[in-house]
Amino acid sequence: MEKRIKSHGSNRREFLLAATALPLATALAHPALASAQDKANIAMWFDTTGGAETANCIIETAVDPFNKQGNGITVKATRQANGWEATKTALAGGGGPDIVGTPGPSFAVELAKAGQILPLDDLITKFGWDKRYVPWTLELGKVSGKIYSLPSELETLVLYYNKTVFEKNGWKAPKTIDELMKLAQHVKDAGKIPFAASNAEWRPANEWFVGEMLNHVAGPDKVYQALTGAIPWTDASFKTAIDDLNEIQQKGWFMGGLDRYYTATTDDRYTSLASGDAAMMIEGTWFMSDAETYFGKDAGFGTDWDWVPMPSTTGEAYFDVGIGSTYSINKQSKSPDAVATFLDYYFSPEMQAKLVSHCNLAPAPVNVPTGKLTDLDARHVAILDAFNKALSSKGYGYTTWTFWPPKTETYLIDNIEKVWAGDMTTDQYLQGMQDMFAQEAKAGLVPPIPPR
Amino acid sequence: MLPILLINVSVVLIPSLSSIYYSMTDWRGIGAAHFVGLDNFRRLFFDDPSFKHAFTNNVIWLMMFLTVPIAIALVAASLLAPIRRGALLFRMMLFIPYVLPSVITASLWRTLMDPDHGIMGKLNSLGVPGTEKALLGTKHTVLPAIAFIDNWHWWGFLMVLFLAAMQNIPPTLYEAAKLDGANRWQEFRDVTLPGIRPTLVFMILMTSIWSFLTFDYIWILTQGGPAGASEVLAVLVFKDAFQNFEAGYASAIGLTMSFFVGIIIMIFIMLRRRGWEI
Repeated sequence: MEKRIKSHGSNRREFLLAATALPLATALAHPALASAQDKANIAMWFDTTGGAETANCIIETAVDPFNKQGNGITVKATRQANGWEATKTALAGGGGPDIVGTPGPSFAVELAKAGQILPLDDLITKFGWDKRYVPWTLELGKVSGKIYSLPSELETLVLYYNKTVFEKNGWKAPKTIDELMKLAQHVKDAGKIPFAASNAEWRPANEWFVGEMLNHVAGPDKVYQALTGAIPWTDASFKTAIDDLNEIQQKGWFMGGLDRYYTATTDDRYTSLASGDAAMMIEGTWFMSDAETYFGKDAGFGTDWDWVPMPSTTGEAYFDVGIGSTYSINKQSKSPDAVATFLDYYFSPEMQAKLVSHCNLAPAPVNVPTGKLTDLDARHVAILDAFNKALSSKGYGYTTWTFWPPKTETYLIDNIEKVWAGDMTTDQYLQGMQDMFAQEAKAGLVPPIPPR
Repeated sequence: MLPILLINVSVVLIPSLSSIYYSMTDWRGIGAAHFVGLDNFRRLFFDDPSFKHAFTNNVIWLMMFLTVPIAIALVAASLLAPIRRGALLFRMMLFIPYVLPSVITASLWRTLMDPDHGIMGKLNSLGVPGTEKALLGTKHTVLPAIAFIDNWHWWGFLMVLFLAAMQNIPPTLYEAAKLDGANRWQEFRDVTLPGIRPTLVFMILMTSIWSFLTFDYIWILTQGGPAGASEVLAVLVFKDAFQNFEAGYASAIGLTMSFFVGIIIMIFIMLRRRGWEI
């Protein structure tokens, strides 16, 4: 990782110079900044649907310091409820912010197809973003051979567990799916809930588990083959994955039963893990921002947590890649160069490290130096470190919300409940997924799948 | 008049006409739309089982709301009508749930129905049968459970309307009925019901329309789950428009919903033309 940063030393230099408020020197050091010397006001919207806390933190950590550099570019931050809907509507009307944020690569692809955002290929070369980003992650923004978006907020899922409960009961964190299933039975026999899991407040949570089982039971290579159309989703390995997930639900290992899974809130889920009522939890790295609340001293449970990679059939550690958001440049922007200058600053590893440390934001795939993740829980740093290493090897899998086409994604979320309810067999479920996927693949709606 | 007309044209007429157009396109919600004729409607009526399922749930919802809240509201209004002392207090108490935002009502009842922590949890700990499962998480009970919550906030409003209508019935009619030896039920059947018929029928009409448009409580509580057991047409529209990128197809579903509502309105207009006092 360090090697990557060194190989792109100019960016680090730019950041340090900018941070020391030497606008003239900074402008000279970078041609793009020099060209942005004419006053440019660029608009950026921050979604506040779930609360303004994160938006405020990003503005204070990244936007305000950028504006204070005095390089002639001012980012006008707007806090916007229902940010994505507002952005879509504004873009359709020929307006919208200069920096276009989306909830993920597939949404950016839609905007690119509609001709509402600019291709970034020249800027990627000009600013050297191809060297900064984990290379294949830029491919996610590709439409008709051109890249239209920069991925942000890299997410993955791991298996969290209540360390105190595990130690008390002499349980060992599992490495394989077989160990995971056996352990779940032991936990149940001990009168505890094997997995804290629920979807009452976020129905698409179903896809976390479908995706994890597909990647970790069948393996990411199989998933890659299916995503690229080399094998169908009806492959026997996927059937095993869905059957295993169904077994977990039928045995009541998720939250104690299907009805609880459907009605428990996120708070219920986290509380059950922290209190020790539940032993494990398959969850995304977004849990990190809440871990302290539930396991800290104030919570009063007196327990501790730890994590392992989500177990796999072979015991190899895989981390499924999810992209939580992307950034693009509005085609109507009057200052695309100024926008690019800000994006260069925003996605610098140093700024990403700050955003992760200060705002608990998921980092962009830009090899954030873990040494700079100050104030961050060591376990969080360890997850990011392991994830970063996985991204550079073949140790990564595919999250459904990043790599599946939209209708197939909705299908797998909605219809897995029919499998659990006994209204649909695993074969029917996978056949339906295959039919839907084939239809969307034919229409060119499968997001770009980087070569493995 | 002109400003009102302009507002209506821009926020009602133009969106309605564009909805009709988009229902015959493959519009994805972003970018250009391509005309596909009646293909969306063919798919809706012949290829999409979720549409039939959601439509059935809408009909079940309609049946529940045409009976339970109207019956409760009629009984409560009849009992409250003769009360003079504390009448305002009673009315306010029963009306308050109606003014609560749906998100609050739904969250409140989600907690109360929790089989571990809420009222259901208490009953469950006392061993009351049928309380061990989460009603909102079981496919056979989820739709009635959501209807119960929606009804909890709704019937008070109906009651206030019926009460206001009942108070416009001339007292002399009740006195005449009493002189004729009518009991309480006969008074209700032969004086009260005919007296409030315009209000009653109007609310039946509105309930029928709203039942086809119901969305908020279902979306907040279950988003159509579990296993599609609480999916209604408006939920399908939302999912297709905003999750599946099928805004054209969602417009076709929306237009079909409007068609059903139109049928209901037509029935009422025809009955009125045939001399029904509604």
